[in-house]
Amino acid sequence: MFDLRKESFVEDRLKEGKYIEELSMMSPKYLDGMKKILTVSADTELVSAPAYYLAAKDAPTTNAFISAMGIIQDELGHAHIAYRLMEDLGINKEEFIYDRDPKSFRYPYAFDVPLVTWTELAVANAFYDRAGFVLLDDVFENTTFGPWKRALVKVGKEEGFHLRHGETWMKKLVKDSDGKERLQKALDWMFPLTVEWFGLPDDLKTQNIQLEYGFKGQSNDQLRQTWMSTAVPLAESLGLDVPAHYSETEKKYVLEYPFPCKFDASEKKWLFEEGEIPWIDPNSDGYSVMKRWKNRGEMNDEFVDILQKGHKQVCQMLERK
Amino acid sequence: MSDVRKKVIQDPRSRTKREEEIFQTLHDVQDAEFDIDIVDMGLIYGVHFDEREQSVIVDMTFTSMACPAIDFMSEDVIERLNLEKDIKNVSINVVWDPPWNQEMLSEDGVEGLNDWGVIKWV
Repeated sequence: MFDLRKESFVEDRLKEGKYIEELSMMSPKYLDGMKKILTVSADTELVSAPAYYLAAKDAPTTNAFISAMGIIQDELGHAHIAYRLMEDLGINKEEFIYDRDPKSFRYPYAFDVPLVTWTELAVANAFYDRAGFVLLDDVFENTTFGPWKRALVKVGKEEGFHLRHGETWMKKLVKDSDGKERLQKALDWMFPLTVEWFGLPDDLKTQNIQLEYGFKGQSNDQLRQTWMSTAVPLAESLGLDVPAHYSETEKKYVLEYPFPCKFDASEKKWLFEEGEIPWIDPNSDGYSVMKRWKNRGEMNDEFVDILQKGHKQVCQMLERK
Repeated sequence: MSDVRKKVIQDPRSRTKREEEIFQTLHDVQDAEFDIDIVDMGLIYGVHFDEREQSVIVDMTFTSMACPAIDFMSEDVIERLNLEKDIKNVSINVVWDPPWNQEMLSEDGVEGLNDWGVIKWV
């Protein structure tokens, strides 16, 4: 085992425009930050698999089901890439995936709300995968961790396919009035959930090591804007009502509802009429976005159980032998 | 080019002028993942145009039988050819024999995939 580098080593290397290529080039701060961002990326990809599978079972045709399974397979591959990189940073991959408590998985709250219909899967591919694409494209362009940048070449292409899957199905479904109604219903709860995906607004971010150390290039609010710059026009082009528009005066996309606000997960309904709520509750006895995220949602236990069950069963079987 | 390919895949010389135009038109349809069109990917095995019926049958394959984009790309072909004034009916004849392989790629397809870092053409 070797000692990690001093912060100055990392800072000098980054100033020279060089990549960090392995653990022996990292400082404690860089290592800790990289583990955190990789955890979110890996967990998000992994949990998306059971989340999408639930809805894929509603596929209208065999070919449509195969398309969805292709996407799920891609997501598992993307998760593997990130966990594999974490293994090089000293994480025990097996324990990390299979022995972790469901609540400690770090993925967007959106995946805790069940996707049950093919329409919801289409919107998830168009909105959630777009969010993933925006985030990972930013990482690809800006990350200072060389192995991750190179691995993301493949990930980006596959995520592009997922987006296209979502858009193509939305275009198909919107053609009849029933389909359009179902799409609108899905958009109504899934659009604000994806806006939340990008995390705390910039003015509430206390530490920004992710930007300082070049793990990523854009801030949360910038990434939210990048996502809306294609998600909103897509919804508009399909004649769907979307609660956001581009403001010529502000030169950015603005939301037409209180942000953030309460979400009734069981009804899949946003309580816009109750107004804005805090991101963080200072007294910790009220309702805040962070509290909802931390408590996780309906599907958290079930999805993590699906992912861990097979491994646990094999381990038990081997112990019995 | 292998002998098998010569026998089963439509010989470009056997195409009528209009069939060749339709074949070239399919350069407008992109692969589902890569920025390469389906003709350069070698997915189009043949084009059969019936002028009187204003119909076209496209012999088409995919890179695997479990390709997740079979519906997408078939629909894209139909959508593109329906833009042609003299075509009223498009059908896709999915062909699995011979199966697609790297030899089916055009030179542009090989170059395109190399640019994307997908394969190393030897």
